[in-house]
Amino acid sequence: MTTGEPLWWAIGALAVINFVIKAAGPALLGDRALPPKLVLVVHSLAPALLASLLMVQLLGQGWNAFDWKLLPGLAVIGLLWLLRRSQIVCIVSGVLVTIAIRALV
Amino acid sequence: MNGSVSPPEFGWRPGLRVGVGLGLAVFPVAVSFGALATTLGWPPLPTIVCSVIVFSAGAQLALLTTLTAGSGLFLALGAATLINLRFLPMGITVASSLEGPIWKRALGAQTILDGSWAAAYQGAGRYDRLTMFGASAVQWPAWILGTVVGVVAAPQTSLVESLGLDLVFPGFFLILLLDSFRSTPRGPWIAGIAILLTGGLVLVAPVGVAVLLSALSALVVLIGHGRRGSEPTDDLEPE
Repeated sequence: MTTGEPLWWAIGALAVINFVIKAAGPALLGDRALPPKLVLVVHSLAPALLASLLMVQLLGQGWNAFDWKLLPGLAVIGLLWLLRRSQIVCIVSGVLVTIAIRALV
Repeated sequence: MNGSVSPPEFGWRPGLRVGVGLGLAVFPVAVSFGALATTLGWPPLPTIVCSVIVFSAGAQLALLTTLTAGSGLFLALGAATLINLRFLPMGITVASSLEGPIWKRALGAQTILDGSWAAAYQGAGRYDRLTMFGASAVQWPAWILGTVVGVVAAPQTSLVESLGLDLVFPGFFLILLLDSFRSTPRGPWIAGIAILLTGGLVLVAPVGVAVLLSALSALVVLIGHGRRGSEPTDDLEPE
């Protein structure tokens, strides 16, 4: 699904869901807290989903999109993140490494 | 839309200053979103409207990734929703800082973004709503403008690869993932399991299913949790 009415439905639905998720706590719960374990699991969804999306971006359906030449660039991004460089520096450096790898191989 | 910039003071002006830095960071990501969405077949108007009304990098990229990989509407929405579920506990943490009737607090909560939320943290569980408003007020137009630029300048697929731009999204996800390790107990373990699950599942299942099932790895955080003796919500406070 990439065009037409279904795409509009997807975008509209995501906007509504996003609004409700952000508003739920302040509007409905106030100062009342969710069960601590539930809060912990919800917060832990971030690394799980981000890792999964990273893999989907790298591999694609059936590993059809896998390109090993992206890996050195990702390694550089991870290294620069460890050195506490800004997001833009990390990304630009990774892109430059990828360009170099593709030019050389 | 992440970051760990800490203003020396709180309020609208410090929030706007933080927002400029965060806006500069999100702009190129927005350009990449607009360009990739166009390359993958999304028309310009829905792409731009998506950035206006959703305004969430992770969720938008999840929707784009799963929909264009052939997943159905509900699977794609499920993946995008799970990405943004972290805003639920974040909203609870700022609830006492937002004032007024329900509709006003609900609107104010829309300014919750990773970087803005972190910048608004005053310590001891308190948040400054004006700092959060200011930081998000700059990032929103930066995100929309970046998307428009990406849509207008969308390069061909071959050019995207030769310029290494296909690294931007995986790289962005990697940075957000590494950032999440700072505030999530057992984050690397959760991510490792999710990586293994996704790597196997995309061979036998649609991408959307693989992403949703990999979310189960978040349950790892509960193993042995009762013995740690700390309140889980303590882990949500930004550094």
